[in-house]
Amino acid sequence: MNLMKKRMWISLLVVGVLLLTACGGGGASAPAAPTESDIPDEEMGEIVPSITLLSSLPEANMVNYEMAEEIAEELRLLGVDAVAQPMDFAVLLDVLYGEDSDFDAYTIGWSGRVERLDPDMFIHSINHSDNAEPGGNNTNRYRNPAFDALADAQRQEMDIDARREIVFEAQEILGQDVPQVTLYSRANMQTYNKELFADVINIPGEGLFNEWTPFSIRPLTDKTVLTVASNVNIDDINPLSSKSVYGWRNLRLIYDKLVRLSPEIEPVPWAAVGWDVVADDVIDVELRQGMTFHDGEPVTVEDVKFSYELFINENVEYFASFLTPIDTIEIMDENTVRFNLKYAYAPFITNTLAQIPILPMHIWEDIENPVQYPNMEAIGSGPFKMERFQTGEELVVSRFDDYFEQPIIDGYIFQIFASPEGVLTALELGTVDIVSYDLVPAHTEQISNNEGGKYDHLELTEAQDIGFFYLGMNLDRAPFNNKAFRIAVAHVTDYDLALDVHLNGYGARGGGGLVIVEANEFWHNPDALIYDTYDPERAREILAEAGFTWDSEGRLRMPVE
Amino acid sequence: MLGYFARRLAVMLLMIFLVSTMIFFLFRTMPGDPTAFVVDPSIPAEARQQLLERYGLHDSLWVQYQVFMKDLVKLDFGDSFFYNRPAMEIIGEKLAATLILMLTAMVFAYVIGIFGGAWMAWKRGTPLESVGITISLIFRSAPTFWVGLMVILLFSVRLGWFPAQGMRTAGTGGGTFSEVFLNTDFLKHLVLPALVAGLYFVATPLLIMRNSMLEVMSEDYIEMARAKGIKERIILYRHAARNALLPVVTAGALFIGSAIGGQVLIEVVFSWPGLGREIVTAVTRHDYPLAQGCFIIISAMVMFMNLVADMLYAVLDPRISYK
Repeated sequence: MNLMKKRMWISLLVVGVLLLTACGGGGASAPAAPTESDIPDEEMGEIVPSITLLSSLPEANMVNYEMAEEIAEELRLLGVDAVAQPMDFAVLLDVLYGEDSDFDAYTIGWSGRVERLDPDMFIHSINHSDNAEPGGNNTNRYRNPAFDALADAQRQEMDIDARREIVFEAQEILGQDVPQVTLYSRANMQTYNKELFADVINIPGEGLFNEWTPFSIRPLTDKTVLTVASNVNIDDINPLSSKSVYGWRNLRLIYDKLVRLSPEIEPVPWAAVGWDVVADDVIDVELRQGMTFHDGEPVTVEDVKFSYELFINENVEYFASFLTPIDTIEIMDENTVRFNLKYAYAPFITNTLAQIPILPMHIWEDIENPVQYPNMEAIGSGPFKMERFQTGEELVVSRFDDYFEQPIIDGYIFQIFASPEGVLTALELGTVDIVSYDLVPAHTEQISNNEGGKYDHLELTEAQDIGFFYLGMNLDRAPFNNKAFRIAVAHVTDYDLALDVHLNGYGARGGGGLVIVEANEFWHNPDALIYDTYDPERAREILAEAGFTWDSEGRLRMPVE
Repeated sequence: MLGYFARRLAVMLLMIFLVSTMIFFLFRTMPGDPTAFVVDPSIPAEARQQLLERYGLHDSLWVQYQVFMKDLVKLDFGDSFFYNRPAMEIIGEKLAATLILMLTAMVFAYVIGIFGGAWMAWKRGTPLESVGITISLIFRSAPTFWVGLMVILLFSVRLGWFPAQGMRTAGTGGGTFSEVFLNTDFLKHLVLPALVAGLYFVATPLLIMRNSMLEVMSEDYIEMARAKGIKERIILYRHAARNALLPVVTAGALFIGSAIGGQVLIEVVFSWPGLGREIVTAVTRHDYPLAQGCFIIISAMVMFMNLVADMLYAVLDPRISYK
């Protein structure tokens, strides 16, 4: 009894000390006296408006939450009335995309989906002034005509090297204008069982369960069916209605595509023999011969035309931006399809042709409401054929023996778990062979520490993500309409803190205006100057040089008009 | 009796109508855009509008409510936004898995609870009684996900006796009821989650039974039985326990009603493909049709089982009659 009492007192004491330290941390946040000025307060500019920094709930994204708190703290030290306000992801999207555009700044991210390797998304969609109206993806409301010209030009330049030059130049402008401050990128930390399988391919943004690993992976034992673990659910397996990333990672193996992006992220003709850019807005694609669907029917140009038109006519939201440029589709001869575009669209090959699956016309033409069709016996022409889909449990596929490029495994089981902890146990027990998602940092640590050798059979893999998380700013509002202020924000962001402390080093540093990260090797401009050092002193100098002043109470004031 | 039953049914229907209305408006006052979880924010604004239209969310709330009610009468909850399939179908698939898990746990908990509770009342004041109460309360108050993880660690990882995840071995397949549930593979997968859930539930019937037994044991007829020299065991189970069962039956019936909701934490820890998990994700995804369907079914079930409990009273205790 006495012992118990003692313990209770000790734990109470510990809690008390913790509380005190927590409060102490809060107390220290009062703004330190910034540079004094000789000018009387009334001759200074307006007080910098207070800033509400919308961020994630800690349980949804701990790093964003922490970084938002950090930046708000740094801004307070600069003499700005700033506060971070965590909110639910769906609510945040409502605010960012809503009609009122009522926000100052926010933290959010773009995931590194494979189609975003093409620079169009991160250059045009999120930075072009055309998209700066409410509902558009340019939620920073960045408007720069010089930049717009480049964003338009890269979209129309069909020559890849020339396009690259333009994209490089666009990145230089973003680096100087700082429409947003990129905080960090995550690394795709994944793992597989190296005692059972070999020859995996690791791709930036996608990790291990990409388009190529199912082809290359080689069983080392008589276990020839791969078990892939996921902690994310698959919605459905109708290509017209599936909207989940993991739904698509499976569908693209069941259905074939004209072009696939190689592990080096270059477009390679796949169900096509090749393409011919007849004019900037006319592209001919020649279909590979001798392919069949899983039910034995041949794959024809009619199927290709039908599929693209079906996706266009059914208004499939997921692909809307890739399909809008298509004007008409013509069948030229029994092996050639012509795409007439409304305007030159450079991502057509890397995104449109590499995304849209070929559906069997003989099945889909008779279906009355294709978007609602359950498609439980999906028939495609891809390397794997569908065996079974059990909602919330598993998707099972087997190798399609008539496919022109044979995978080595006999098939795979995509097993759905309810939590990453469940997957870790299954990895330890050896019941799953490979993961399809990024391990949570704690599990990465656990596997790399390999205590007691219980993860001896696992190989940890790392790929850099091409997506990023960032601090967005509403450029329609003061003080973010002031470029110097944004550059100052880029200097009070502690990029190393995000990477080394919050991400345990598994990721990459951010920087002001950085949208095409280093992992996207081909399109990233390594020579573009970006503000990526944490230097609050320099931030002060930048503000002072730009005419910002600090009044007698230490509050930051806008430059005099 | 029949008149009473009919009146109760009518009240139940009215209640379901009210509950459905509440659920409908509750979900729509939830902040956040339902398209946010279905499609990536990068889709063009027009596409998002199209999606809202497809879901029927662009109509006025009143129109949406009318459609919802009209469909509800036909027991149609609409198509799940996420799964793109009728919500009823998804619920049906998941319900069996959840109910089997919960009923197994319930049988386990109630058998132990009823016999253990009766026996503990009989052994009142002995150390055995306090040990029993303490153990049952420990399992009641320990977080189920923690107990689950410990059980997995012991029985799956260390001893390797039972599988840790799911309700069947990956790749087993089969879709019919017997293929899924009537085989040893399923039973093996059932053991651990049912055990954890059962241990969590056991305190309720145990303590209720013990309390009600203590009351019964002070009745004159127990004294009488003792005086007649009847065996202890027979007095305990035939004379006392049977009369002490009533409150346990109520608790049990209500339990079945709420069992549909499953035990979310247990379902998550064991990756059990049940309805509990589905409800949580449906709510966070703003998948209105699926979430509404789940909640309406749960409330209907709770009301119905209440009625069943009342009916059972009359059977168990002939002195009770309904008019």
